[in-house]
Amino acid sequence: MTTPQENMDLFVGLSALLTGIDKTKLSPPLDPNNIKQVFYDYANAQDSAALAQLLGIYASCLAQPGITDAMVAKAVFEDSGDTMCYLARAIMLAWYLGSWYAPGDLQAYHANYAAQPPLQALPPLSGPVIAAAAYTQGWAWNIAQAHPMGYSTFTFGYWGKQPPALSAFTGARQ
Amino acid sequence: MSTNEYDVVIVGAGVSGALIAKQLGLAGKKVLMLESGAGLPANNNDFMQRFYLAQAKVPEVPYTPDLFDPPGSNTLTDPQTQNAARATVLTLDKGSWQDKSKSYMMQQGPLAFGSTYERVAGGTMRHWLGTSLRFVPNDFTTASSYGQMVDWPITYADLEPWYGKAEVEIGVSANKAEQSYLGITFAPDYDYPMPAIPPSLVDDAVAAAVQGMEVDNIALQVVGTPAGRNSQPHHSRPVCAGNTNCIPICPIGAKYDPSITLNAALDTGNVELWPFTVAKQVLVDANNQVSGIEYLQYQTPTGPQTGSGTVTAARYVIAAHAIETPRLLLMSTNGGRFPNGVANRSGMVGKNLMDHPLYLAWALAPKPLYGFRGPLATSGIESLRDGPFRKQRAAFRIEIGNEGWNFSSNDPYTTTIDLINGMNLAGLNPATSPGPAPALWGAPLVNALNNALSRQFRLGFLVEQTPDPANCVTLSPELDHLGLPRPQIRYDLSDYTKAGLLAASETASAIFQRMGAQEYTSSPDPDDPCAFTVDAKHGSKLMKFYGSGHIVGTYRMGSKDDGQSVVDKYQRSWDHPNLFLVGSGVFPTVATGNPTLTIAALALQAATTLLSDLQTS
Repeated sequence: MTTPQENMDLFVGLSALLTGIDKTKLSPPLDPNNIKQVFYDYANAQDSAALAQLLGIYASCLAQPGITDAMVAKAVFEDSGDTMCYLARAIMLAWYLGSWYAPGDLQAYHANYAAQPPLQALPPLSGPVIAAAAYTQGWAWNIAQAHPMGYSTFTFGYWGKQPPALSAFTGARQ
Repeated sequence: MSTNEYDVVIVGAGVSGALIAKQLGLAGKKVLMLESGAGLPANNNDFMQRFYLAQAKVPEVPYTPDLFDPPGSNTLTDPQTQNAARATVLTLDKGSWQDKSKSYMMQQGPLAFGSTYERVAGGTMRHWLGTSLRFVPNDFTTASSYGQMVDWPITYADLEPWYGKAEVEIGVSANKAEQSYLGITFAPDYDYPMPAIPPSLVDDAVAAAVQGMEVDNIALQVVGTPAGRNSQPHHSRPVCAGNTNCIPICPIGAKYDPSITLNAALDTGNVELWPFTVAKQVLVDANNQVSGIEYLQYQTPTGPQTGSGTVTAARYVIAAHAIETPRLLLMSTNGGRFPNGVANRSGMVGKNLMDHPLYLAWALAPKPLYGFRGPLATSGIESLRDGPFRKQRAAFRIEIGNEGWNFSSNDPYTTTIDLINGMNLAGLNPATSPGPAPALWGAPLVNALNNALSRQFRLGFLVEQTPDPANCVTLSPELDHLGLPRPQIRYDLSDYTKAGLLAASETASAIFQRMGAQEYTSSPDPDDPCAFTVDAKHGSKLMKFYGSGHIVGTYRMGSKDDGQSVVDKYQRSWDHPNLFLVGSGVFPTVATGNPTLTIAALALQAATTLLSDLQTS
């Protein structure tokens, strides 16, 4: 039986590994938005058994000596079935875009795409925005070295200058 | 209930109504504004929350009534259930553009009308981009200069002083010398209220690439776009922080919107605003004077009608934009005395509906340009707004986008999902070897997404559409929740306009080539209601246009009462001397600039005419 704190540590650790964004950025020491908790609670409310299984896989990986990130990713995406693969992708997308793309929807979307390869053949995938702060803290825009549209923390004229380095946004895991 | 305590009744609390109300209120005139939608909120917090929580962050989404039922879902509200419904760009797909349970406007085709408008205090300009261009002098004289379209009854010189007043009222940031092109002039002692907004890195890259480039023997040049957003703290509003969200909403109020003028109007103490009040009919007496406005009231967007009445005044202004204004006029049959509606002796009410059909082209630059930063657009290419080519094909301006492929491909959403879910809808996650598109994680994901998003950019070409009486707003047999006919739209593009769109696509590709950028503009679905074919050099070409939100031309102004126009050059009805019709519906042509500054300039002129009228009557 893991404690809530251990579960959160696993959740953040796995999220950092999969998203490529440093743990200290996903879970900063001063964390007024506490988005990790919002995402954890949301995923847990959708399918607590699946989330527990996913974190359990990660915990098992961590217990293996010499485990690498690639081995963890293989365990999550390839060795544990579609439910785990697409739940992991849903969590990654939550961090990136602030929306919840349900694992089943992601799987169906991918299957439709694979059956229908021409560009733009599919309508946009929809998924509810998890919370206003989930959107305003979305990482896709930071990875563009920008900011979520409608939530700038920059100042007048910044758009005419080079942005800070990518590592300044993501915590230098790249 | 009947009231006659007002000097002027204004239908519509958008930019035109607000500007007129403020001027009249400052002069001590009693004004009543009827707004079909909600009034002014205390702040924009609800708008912002609705935006943040919306799955589809389209122009209409922050505003009321809620596009979705239940709120936050992905299910569109049925316009048949709403008292003041409005259109959304979400109903422009082939499955819903003619579905009356989704699309408020009853679209008749052959092409879809791609622009939408708001029914809320502040009006459609709530989600304007901020572009505050003056029209170029030849925009007013296309018939006499090029043998195309019609001349306006006014010239650039007539409008020039009003442009200056409008720029002051809005608070425009621009450089006068930079804006002095294609015959645009300024009064010697005039300057813009604020310095220009700086260009983006995207602007700089396009500017460098088009140096020495000519189209139709005209040299291209990138210039800053005059913007209704603050480059300095101005009138108690902050400087722009580059939220890249001018459409649908500036979160900090650095961009002007008509709520600012509306609040100033209300602050005069002489202006009253009735929200949730839908004008039902313009009444006309035996002397051909407008004698009142009948209205219906409600309290909740889908609730029952809760009131009705007639308001009266000395003068009347219809400022309900270019679809709701003709709708109201056409509904006003006065018990059969005006079977074609009021102000419509010419039969031109509702006719000549126009927009700037927008050609959108997108590409990946050879190195990062860092889009998704700054105002949505800061510069453009204005060089092709005028020239001898206008004898053969439509002119256009080119807007340089600062929002990557957000408009074109819904990025960063599409590419992010592509990279994480092993797909390639946006085109930036191709298979590196035979097999499916890769699904990435970790540092390769971050690097791939950064590489994609930081190099994306787009160009938007706003093409001048010819006026055509067959493109029109009429009344649909379908009714809204108050029992009023919904607007019915017939819309098509002329060969002249299509030729302009084709020239736009060729110009886009040429610019991308000079930049060393890889073009990703996709071919549209032939069944897209905004898709059309045009004769190109090597056969027929399938293209697509987007709406620009520039709804224009349905009660146009003319130089004489010859059955070709609805209002005179002062925007006074030819038929009813105490009735003014304002807004972009009076434009005889859509011209080559975004319409807002001209709307504002004409509204200020109308306010002066109204004041003069009231003082002499």
